[in-house]
Amino acid sequence: MTSEALPTVFIVDDDRGMRQAIQDLVDSVGLHAESFASGEEFLCKKHNSRPSCLVLDVRLPQMSGLDFQQRLVDIGIQIPVIFITAHGDIPMSVRALKSGAVEFLTKPFRDQDLLDAIQQALQRDRAAHEQQAEVHNLQQRYGSLTAREKEVMTLVVSGMLNKQIAGEIGASEPTVKIHRGNVMRKMEAGSVVDLVRMADKLKLSPRK
Amino acid sequence: MANEDVQRTLEELSRNLQESKAWLEEAQRVAHVGYWVWDLQTNRVIWSDETYRIFGLAPQEGQIDLAKVRESIHPNDREEVFRIAEESVRSGERADSEHRVIRPSGEIRVVHSLGDLKKDSSGRPYQMFGTTQDITDRKRAEEALRRMSRSVQESNARLEEAQRIAHVGHWEWKIETGRLTWSDETYRIYGMAPQERPIDISILREMIHPEDRESMFRKAEESLLSGVRADAEHRIVRPSGEVRTVHSRADAKRDASGRPYEMFGTVQDITERKRAEQALQQTQIYLREGQRLARMGSWAFNDEGLHWSDELYQIFGLDPEKGAPKIEQYLTLIHPQDQAAMAETIKTMFQEHSGCDVTKRIVRPDGQVRYVRCVASPVIEQEVFKGFLGTAMDVTEQELLTQELRREQAYLAEAQSLAHIGSWATNFATRQNFHLSDETYRIHGFDPRQGPPGLERFWATLHPQDETLVRATLEDAVRAGTDYDIRDFRIRRADDGQIRFLRTIGHRNPVGEIGEYVGITMDITELKRAEEERERLRQLEADLAHINRVNMMGELAAALAHEIRQPIAASITSANACLRWLARDPPDLKRARAAAARIEQDGNRAADVINRLRSFYKKGSPPRREIVDVREIIQEMTALLRTEAFRHSVRIHSELHEERPQVLADRVQLQQVFMNLMLNAIEAMRDSGGELTIASRPNPEGQLVVSISDTGEGLPADSAERIFDAFHTTKPQGTGMGLAITRSIVEAHGGRVWATTNSGAGATFHFTLPAKAEEHA
Repeated sequence: MTSEALPTVFIVDDDRGMRQAIQDLVDSVGLHAESFASGEEFLCKKHNSRPSCLVLDVRLPQMSGLDFQQRLVDIGIQIPVIFITAHGDIPMSVRALKSGAVEFLTKPFRDQDLLDAIQQALQRDRAAHEQQAEVHNLQQRYGSLTAREKEVMTLVVSGMLNKQIAGEIGASEPTVKIHRGNVMRKMEAGSVVDLVRMADKLKLSPRK
Repeated sequence: MANEDVQRTLEELSRNLQESKAWLEEAQRVAHVGYWVWDLQTNRVIWSDETYRIFGLAPQEGQIDLAKVRESIHPNDREEVFRIAEESVRSGERADSEHRVIRPSGEIRVVHSLGDLKKDSSGRPYQMFGTTQDITDRKRAEEALRRMSRSVQESNARLEEAQRIAHVGHWEWKIETGRLTWSDETYRIYGMAPQERPIDISILREMIHPEDRESMFRKAEESLLSGVRADAEHRIVRPSGEVRTVHSRADAKRDASGRPYEMFGTVQDITERKRAEQALQQTQIYLREGQRLARMGSWAFNDEGLHWSDELYQIFGLDPEKGAPKIEQYLTLIHPQDQAAMAETIKTMFQEHSGCDVTKRIVRPDGQVRYVRCVASPVIEQEVFKGFLGTAMDVTEQELLTQELRREQAYLAEAQSLAHIGSWATNFATRQNFHLSDETYRIHGFDPRQGPPGLERFWATLHPQDETLVRATLEDAVRAGTDYDIRDFRIRRADDGQIRFLRTIGHRNPVGEIGEYVGITMDITELKRAEEERERLRQLEADLAHINRVNMMGELAAALAHEIRQPIAASITSANACLRWLARDPPDLKRARAAAARIEQDGNRAADVINRLRSFYKKGSPPRREIVDVREIIQEMTALLRTEAFRHSVRIHSELHEERPQVLADRVQLQQVFMNLMLNAIEAMRDSGGELTIASRPNPEGQLVVSISDTGEGLPADSAERIFDAFHTTKPQGTGMGLAITRSIVEAHGGRVWATTNSGAGATFHFTLPAKAEEHA
C-alpha cells in the first residue's frame, strides 16, 4: 500500500522552539512530520487515511491537551496520541493513558523514548486501519447476501446443522444447502470457522 | 106630626150618633186608643177596630175571648194584668195597667189599659168597659229623653273632671254687664278655691303677669272687633305670688245685629308642659353641644328609618339637609380597606340582633380620612327587635396617637431585640417588678405572654457559679444606694437551658423609693463569641500570611521551573536531532547546523527567563516610591504577628531613634521585608521564646538603619554567608526564598542587608534604606 511509505507524525505544541526541535528530530529518522501551534490549527488540516500519530503538548493556550484528545474522540477522529509535558504529574498521566494515549513523556525527554513511542503509535494506527478496511470489505460482502442467505448465515454461525436450519426456516434440506453454498461463496469463507470469525467481526449476534 | 118630628129627631140623633161614632173611631185611630167591652157573664170580649190594630190584627178579624186576650199579653206581664183586672172586679176600682202585648208578627208593643166596671140595678157588676192605648212611641221618647238627660249630666261631670285633669277651665264674660263667670277649674288655675269670690275684669287684669297684660287685652279687643278667635299664651300671677303659664282661647258671641254681647273662652294651665318643653330643649342643646365637644354623634335605626344627630353629619362631613345615608351609601363612605369588614359587621348585627364596637376609617367628601369608633346596641322591647341605637365618635387623634405609640413601642422592642438589650424597673427592696420589656423576658428565657415572673424566678436562672457574686454585688449596691454594673455573668436560660452570658447595669432611681432601680440587661453571648471568633480569625490570618508566603514561593518556583524547562527541553531535543544528522552517512551538516542554531536560541531563551525573574527586584526598575512612616509599618506588622508571637512566647518591642523615621520606599515591599525578617526572628525563637527588638537609627551616609534582633538560636555557623542565597534554607518548611527576596527588595531600594551574631543569644538582621531627605539629593 502507498500509505505504508508515508506515515505522518503530527505535532501540536504552542512553544515554537519545542515544535521545531521535535519536527527536526522526526525528520532525522526519515519520517514525515507536520507541526501546529494549536489544536484548532491541527483540526483545519485535511486528513487522509495514511497511518499517523499525534505528539500533543498537555499545556496549550486555549484547551488543555487532555481535553483536546477527548474532543478528537467525540468528533470521531481516531489517532494515537503521545503526550508531552513540561510538568506532568501522576494523575494527569493516568488520565491520559486511560483515555487511550500511547505514551506520556515529561520534558525534557530522551529522544529515543519519543521515537519509540512514535513507532509504536504508527504501528497501532496501521493495525487499526487494516482492521477497519477488513470490516469494510466484509460489510460489502455481507451486503451482497439476500435476506434468506443472511438468515441462513446467522443460523449457520449459531452452529445449526442443515436439517435443523431447514426446520427452522421452513424449507427443504437441499434448498438450505444451496443457500449455504451461496453464503460461503459470496462471503469468500473457506470454512465455517472462517465464517464464524467474519460474523464476529461484523458483530452479527448468533441465534441461541 | 109629632111622630114625624120624633122620626126626624130620631133619624137626626141616629145620624149624629153615627157621626159621633165615626169621629170617635177616627179619634181613637189618631190617638192609638182602642176600646173594648168584657162581658163578665159570658167572658165574651168585644174590641173596637183600633184595638184590633193595636194588637196587630185587621179590624174585626176574628172573635175575641178572654183566652185570646190572655194569649196576646206578654208572658211576663200576663199574670199582673189579670190580677189587676180581678182586683178591679172585686173592688170596683178602675183597673189601670201598663203592659206589653205581642202582636202575631212577634212585635212587642207597650200599651196603657184602663177598665171600668158596669153594674146592674142590683149593683152586681156585669160588664167591664175599657180603653187600650198604644204608648210604645211615647215610651221610647220618654226613655230617650231620660237617657239624654242622664248623658248630659254625666257629660257635665266628665267635662268638669276632664277640665280639672287637663287644667282647662272656662269662663264667660257678659260684655254689657261686665260680669265674669269662671268655672271651678278656672278658679283653681288662678290659684283660688272654686267660686271663692266673684270676679270682674279689673280683678282679672291684676292677676295677669304685668309683662303680658297689655298684649293680652289688646288681643281680646282685636278678637272682638275682627271676630277671629283670640288665642294667647301668657303668664298669670296667683295670689300666692306663683307665676303660671296659661293658654287662653276665646270666641265672641254676637246678636242678630252682629254686636258682640258675650265672650266665651277656655284657659289651660300649660306651665308643666312649658317647663318640660324647655327642659327638653335644654337637654337637646346640651346633648348637641356635648356631642359637638366630644366629637360624638348618635344615631338611631328603627321602623321609621335612620336618624343621625347633627354632630354625626359633622363627623362624616355630610350635609344634614340631605338626610341620613342608606346602608349602601354609608358603606361607600368607609375607607376601602375597612369596607368589607364593616359590611360584615352590619350583616351580623341584623342577623343576630347584636351590637358592635368597631373602629374603622371613613373618607370624608373632601378626601380626609378619619378614624371613627362606632358603638351600637340593639333595641329590644318585650323580646321584639325594634332597631339599633348607637354612637359614632371621631377618634382620629387618639387612634393616630395610639398608632404612633404602638409604633414607637414596636421600634423600641425591635431595637431591644436586635441589640439583645432588655430594659426593666424593679424595686429590689419590695421585690416588685414595675416594668419588664419583652426582650428582658426573652433574655432570661421567659415567655412575655405569660406575664411577669417574680424576681425569684429571675434569680433561679443564675448560673450556680455566678449566683453568689451577682447577689452580693446587687445587695451591696442596694444597701449603699449606688449604681451597679455586673459585666459578665452566666445564666441558664429558663426555656431551653442554654448557658448565656449577660451584662446588667442598674441605676438607682433617684426619685423612687429605696431599692428602686431602672436598668438594662444585655445578652453578650454573641458578642463574646464574636470576640473569640475575631481572635481566632486574627490567628488564622497570621497563619495564612505565613502559608501564603510559603505558597507564593512554591508557585513562583513552579512557574519558574516550567518557564525554564521549556527551552531546556527544546534545546536537548534539538541537540539529539543534531547528533542524529551528524551520525548520518554522509552527515547532513546543513540540518545539523540548523539544529545547533536552535540550541543556542533555546539556551538564550532560558537565560532570558532567569534574567527576567531577577529583574523583578533589580535596581533600575524601581516600583512606586512614597514617603513611608517606618513606625506605622512596624505597628502594622506587630499587630499582624502578635498572635504568632504570643503563641511562641515572643515579646515584640521597638527602640526607634526618631519619633517618626521616614523613608522613601514601596510600602507593600517594605511590609514584606519587615514581615520576612520578623517571621524569621519569631521562628528562631519558636521553641525557646524570647524577645524581638526592632531598632532604627540613621547612619553617617544619611540612610536609616533598621535592625531586627532575636534571642533565638543564632546563625548557622557553617552557612552564614549563604543565608541570603535563593533556595538556601535551614528550615524544614522553608522555601529558601525569604531572605533572597528581602535582599532583592532592599537592594532595589538602594539599600543593603546583612546579618550579625549577637554577643548574647540570637542574631540581628540589619538593612539600610535611603532616608526621606535623600529624595532631593
